[in-house]
Amino acid sequence: MPKDPVCSKEIDVAAARTTTGTTRFGAAEVDPRAGTRSFFNGQWYYFCGLECRTKFLATPQTYLKQAGS
Amino acid sequence: MDFGFTPQQEALKQEVRQFIAENVTQEVIAELESAEEGGRGPNYRGLLLKAGERGWVGMSWPKEYGGQGGSRLNQYIVEEEFSRVGVSVGGAGSGAPAILAAGTEEQKRYFLPRIMRGEAVFALGFTEPQAGADLAGLQCRAVRDGDEFVVNGQKIFTTAAHYATHLYLMARTDPEVPKHKGISIFLVPMDTPGITVRPLWTIQNDPPAPIGTTYGQRRTNEVFLEDVHVPVSCMLGEENSGWYVGALGLNLDRVGASRYLLSVRRDEDIINWVKDNQFGGFSPGQDPAVRDRLAELWIEAQVCRLMTMRSMSLVERGSKFSYEGSAEKVFSPEHGVRTTETITQVLGPYAQLMNGSLGAIEDGLFAHNVMGSFQSGINHGSVQVMRDQVARRGLGMPRG
Repeated sequence: MPKDPVCSKEIDVAAARTTTGTTRFGAAEVDPRAGTRSFFNGQWYYFCGLECRTKFLATPQTYLKQAGS
Repeated sequence: MDFGFTPQQEALKQEVRQFIAENVTQEVIAELESAEEGGRGPNYRGLLLKAGERGWVGMSWPKEYGGQGGSRLNQYIVEEEFSRVGVSVGGAGSGAPAILAAGTEEQKRYFLPRIMRGEAVFALGFTEPQAGADLAGLQCRAVRDGDEFVVNGQKIFTTAAHYATHLYLMARTDPEVPKHKGISIFLVPMDTPGITVRPLWTIQNDPPAPIGTTYGQRRTNEVFLEDVHVPVSCMLGEENSGWYVGALGLNLDRVGASRYLLSVRRDEDIINWVKDNQFGGFSPGQDPAVRDRLAELWIEAQVCRLMTMRSMSLVERGSKFSYEGSAEKVFSPEHGVRTTETITQVLGPYAQLMNGSLGAIEDGLFAHNVMGSFQSGINHGSVQVMRDQVARRGLGMPRG
């Protein structure tokens, strides 16, 4: 199970990706209360919420070093 | 030089006003104010069809794609009248100018008639969490695989994603070249597998902003693209020319009445309110300070209008159009902020009462405008980015 690179919390990827419906023209909608993700340097990172993701995107190298990536 | 309209154009204006009085119904307005429809439901599309039957949608677009091949100024007249009631009709801001400028024949024939009927709506998939003002730093990747590209990435503040038919997507197609030169644009159907949408709610959501008080909408979105397979035929313009195609499209989409009217409409509202109302038996219009500020706003409003007319004139004559729309996008929103400051001072605490509150003036119009006026300086290209474009393209300064 991937960890949030900021707070190290384990993220339930399935929950973050579970669809709750579709838009009027067929795009899947996801639950905004579940975890989120971000595409950085060619790969997906998962976060517990927007606060951690915002911290990560401000200084990604800080958190990638901490995580040993 | 006479900046007035001809008798024929004045007649067109009156005809459009009459049409609006008869056809912009409460049902249309309710739909425009709903967060989920984003104003693009069946009542709006019905209105668009009726306007289209009169030849008012895409008036300046070529006839072979369903347009009228007519004057851009006439299209502006139609847009201006509809913008006054907060309705987008005419074709400005639809993505059509970029398709006309850079699209393939197939793309033009597919999209332009559908845009006119309200059947094709684009969500602008440019901004990313770490790439807004520095858009060229975007991370979304599109990797060629035969006749397709495979797209992975994330967009944010994608306003229309929940009711759009297509994503107007900017993605990196060559990571090995300078960042501006490795970007392409794709027109991607929203129902393509791998696209997910997540809502973000704006300050306009609760209580709902009355129609026409804001540049932004009640709902915006994040969009995730994961292994999204996009046919090469969806590319708009040449591969790796997306930065230039995108800039051209945004620039052309900035030309139109709604840009100018957004900031100017509140001038008109507060001037009319001051003329028609009193505080404790005293008309605010009798106060020299109020008269001074309102006259100043009116003068600025004329500058906004002339800048818009100049942009349209350049486009209509096919002249070089590079920084003029950016200059307009600085002056009009900042005029809107100055208008808001004046309204706040003239109305005092009444300017803070929201829609639904006892004592709210004009259904909270002015309170919602406080938020809307600041949004307009950020959305669709911030005023800082616009100033940079004026410095580089207009004043010939080097890239910073």
